[in-house]
Amino acid sequence: MLAATRRWLRGWIFQLKEKEPGEVVLVMRRVFILPTRPGIAFVGLLLIMLIGSVNYNLGLGFVLTFFTGSCALVDMYLTAKNLAFLRLAPGRAQPVFAGAEAQFELHLKNDTPRDRYAVWLGFQDEGEPRQAVDVASGGSSAVVLSRPTKERGWLAAPRVRLFTRFPLGLFGAWAYWQPDLKVLAYPQPEVSAPPLPTSGAAREDGYGTVGLDNFSGIRNYQPGDPMRHLAWRQIARLHPADGGNLVSKHFEGGAVSDLLLDLNALPPMLDIELKLSRLAAWVLEAERRALPYALNVGHREIAQGLGEVHCAECLRALALYGKEGA
Amino acid sequence: MIARFTRMAGPLTRDKSDTLLLLLASVMVLFPHFGHLPSWTSATVCLTLLWRAAITMRGSRLPPIWLLLPVSLLAMGGVYLSFRTLLGREPGVTMLTLLLTFKLLEMHARRDLFVVIFLSFFLLLTNFFYSQSIVTAVVMVATIIVLLTAQITFQYTGAVPPLAKRLKLAGRVFLVAAPLGVLLFIGFPRIQGPLWGLPGDAASGSSGMSDTMSPGSMTSLALSEEVAFRVNFNGGAPLQQQLYWRGPVLSRYDGRTWSRIGQPQSPRRLVMLERQLTWTGPSYSYEVTLEPGRRQFLFMLELSEPLAHVEGANTTYSDELEQLVQANSDKRLRYDGVAHPAYYAQAGLDPEALQTWLQLPQGFNPRTLRYAAQIQALRAEKGDDIAIGAVLANFRDHFEYTLEPERLGHDAVDEFLFDSRKGFCEHFSGAFVYIMRAAGLPARVVNGYQGGERNPVDGYYTIRQSDAHAWSEVWLGPKRGWTRFDPTAAVAPERIRTSLAETLPQEAPFGLQGLSKLARDQNSWLAKMRFGISAVNNAWNQWILDYNPSRQENFLKELAAAFGNWRLLAALAACAALALLARQRWTLHKRDPVDIAYLAFCRQLARHGVTKAPDEGPLSLSRRVRQLNLPQEKIAAMTQFLELYGALKYGAPSAQKDNPVARLNSLLKQSR
Repeated sequence: MLAATRRWLRGWIFQLKEKEPGEVVLVMRRVFILPTRPGIAFVGLLLIMLIGSVNYNLGLGFVLTFFTGSCALVDMYLTAKNLAFLRLAPGRAQPVFAGAEAQFELHLKNDTPRDRYAVWLGFQDEGEPRQAVDVASGGSSAVVLSRPTKERGWLAAPRVRLFTRFPLGLFGAWAYWQPDLKVLAYPQPEVSAPPLPTSGAAREDGYGTVGLDNFSGIRNYQPGDPMRHLAWRQIARLHPADGGNLVSKHFEGGAVSDLLLDLNALPPMLDIELKLSRLAAWVLEAERRALPYALNVGHREIAQGLGEVHCAECLRALALYGKEGA
Repeated sequence: MIARFTRMAGPLTRDKSDTLLLLLASVMVLFPHFGHLPSWTSATVCLTLLWRAAITMRGSRLPPIWLLLPVSLLAMGGVYLSFRTLLGREPGVTMLTLLLTFKLLEMHARRDLFVVIFLSFFLLLTNFFYSQSIVTAVVMVATIIVLLTAQITFQYTGAVPPLAKRLKLAGRVFLVAAPLGVLLFIGFPRIQGPLWGLPGDAASGSSGMSDTMSPGSMTSLALSEEVAFRVNFNGGAPLQQQLYWRGPVLSRYDGRTWSRIGQPQSPRRLVMLERQLTWTGPSYSYEVTLEPGRRQFLFMLELSEPLAHVEGANTTYSDELEQLVQANSDKRLRYDGVAHPAYYAQAGLDPEALQTWLQLPQGFNPRTLRYAAQIQALRAEKGDDIAIGAVLANFRDHFEYTLEPERLGHDAVDEFLFDSRKGFCEHFSGAFVYIMRAAGLPARVVNGYQGGERNPVDGYYTIRQSDAHAWSEVWLGPKRGWTRFDPTAAVAPERIRTSLAETLPQEAPFGLQGLSKLARDQNSWLAKMRFGISAVNNAWNQWILDYNPSRQENFLKELAAAFGNWRLLAALAACAALALLARQRWTLHKRDPVDIAYLAFCRQLARHGVTKAPDEGPLSLSRRVRQLNLPQEKIAAMTQFLELYGALKYGAPSAQKDNPVARLNSLLKQSR
């Protein structure tokens, strides 16, 4: 009860919000400020200076004390202003393989006439912010915050804490922002996975010699040809402007019988995560060797294909297997 | 050499330039201290700063702690040897300067940086022990800005803007802070210091009037242009000849030195004493600001009502009508007085008491005694006034005023009266009192200041040490009491109208007579400038340096009177804040003039039957405008308007030159 109240109070005071889609403007109500440790020491210094001025009746001492004190107050205002009215927008978030660092791209835009310096960003639950960024007036800056992924699936960006001490470092202003940003973590590819379950030739030979080396000639490029099959040497001979053409290498036996990566075909006693890992490893392997492949995970079937988009689709299906939002 | 230096300087890395800026700030803080630090300390500070600069330029490592620690201990020992103590103001300031210098060599973390900057701020304050002039204040402001710049510089994490921009930012911080600082200065509740006993060295040993008078004691003051005190009359001021600022009263003479006998009176006795003072003429009220220094007396315009209480000092009144004050001080003292130039003082003294002021040392000045016997006979024959007049006439006719008198021997008065016949106030007043006493009239010497220079700019009178003066008082029977006689005035009447030093033939500056005239002429531009500077200085002293609790109270009262009351003031402030807020809101919502013009244009078009569809742009409107059945020039203006609008709204910023909004509006008018 008490903890709940405290959490509610904290959420209310600091205006902690759930996901905020789109751009967020840091209005003054969202910027909080407290003196830093040097700031507290500075107050002590001002007190000593005041007492000294009173004791020795130093007229100029009063001037110095009050003016430096006022400078500290102006610093408080400027520090808050250094954060306030920044516009925050989530950027792109590239999928990663589980275990790797998820990279969250965040954009800070500044359409006020004041340059912003030394704005620190970090995830709220990580303590001290790690990244600092300047945002020029009328410009924007991007920051990439990373966080390790532990398992496959969506990883939402944690709450971000923005912090600044600029200009004098006597006050620290901070604000919270929950960016609407998530990263897809693909299953971690199995290390030293078994060979691809190729049917046809590969299966008979025991190992996938799918005729990648059986170069039989070149032909005109056709949309859908894998990039790695482009015959660069031939292409480079003639500039496209002079009538040169994109040409692809043609391989014998490249069109092996269907490569189907089927979840259900894996040994049933394997852990589901291991199965997904193995499939991910196979997808990458097939992609690397430019073997068209189809994927079948549970109810989801992906027709045979090759290329980045196909690969991403397959990995995504693997990542979201059995999870919400699949 | 220069080539080598520039190569060394080269493009500085950020770290180096930041550290050099901090060094510059420290030098600005430390430099004013060199004037009063022991020379070895200044040398150590200079060398260490140079060392620090060299470390920075070369990029070598800071010295290790095992090297710094013994060096700083050694320096502390040096401070002890210099002052024989580690406590007190001077050793404290010396230690702080050394601490700051060594701290610069021991900077590793952000925390150390703040320590250096905070120490600098404090050292900046300690400099005010020694100087609080306007120049010091200007230097202080510059130093604050450089310190703030250094502090800001260390906050940057990415690109660091050029120094000029950082200085501008620091300057802006200071400028924005300034009004608040002024408000705090005026309104922050002041406490009368000191909070604890000042260390003994707090009072500086500047010269002042002593409480004895022996040959030559005045000459040291006569040539000093140092300000003794300043006076502001509330209302009218008495004539220059009446400006006798009474200080110590000297009634005992040992043949060479005159000294005081006055005793402080208890409050009860003071009441009785006040009954013996009768005022007859007009009164003048005035405010004196006494300069800091050695002090024993509050100089009061003759003759002022006794002061019972002066803020910030213990004051007592003596039976010789002196206003005494305790404690030398390094701060100014302000007090108010009410003077009555026409008075009868202590007319009712009984004859026994009067014996005090008739005593003369035995075995001195036989010739004077003989002369006094003649005066006494004259007194018996024709009365006191005639007799005194005869003495003064003798002075006037046969004596000469000089600040360089001959040395006088054992019978000083004899030698002065009958041999040298040259002297200045101390000789005249001393000899006069001697004659009076010998002739049977109670008399005494009064020291103080005479005259003062009125500043036409602010109306303040400045009384300098060179205005020091000595005159005499004679007790003229139970009707008139103590009456002032100034024998110097008889000899050199101009002395009383002008100041002491000015009566003397001065050396012309650079041997040019014109210059000396310029320097003395009250209407010359030089004098005007001098008065102007003096007025600024005085305002500085009155409002910045001596803004104490009572002055604050008065000023706030005056302010309150000027603004009705505090509530009105608060209401005004609130209104101003609201107005500011409203303005900000308004500018926030202020429409772009281009949009306003476009809206007006669309309304015009609607009258011609062309209604802008919500999703319609200027290009499509332009196409429709061309089909309108209107004069050719009107259509041209309209299409031009739309073209310009499109360029302003969607074009590159470079298109927006030579006041496009005005052109837009004129096109709008043409298409009407």
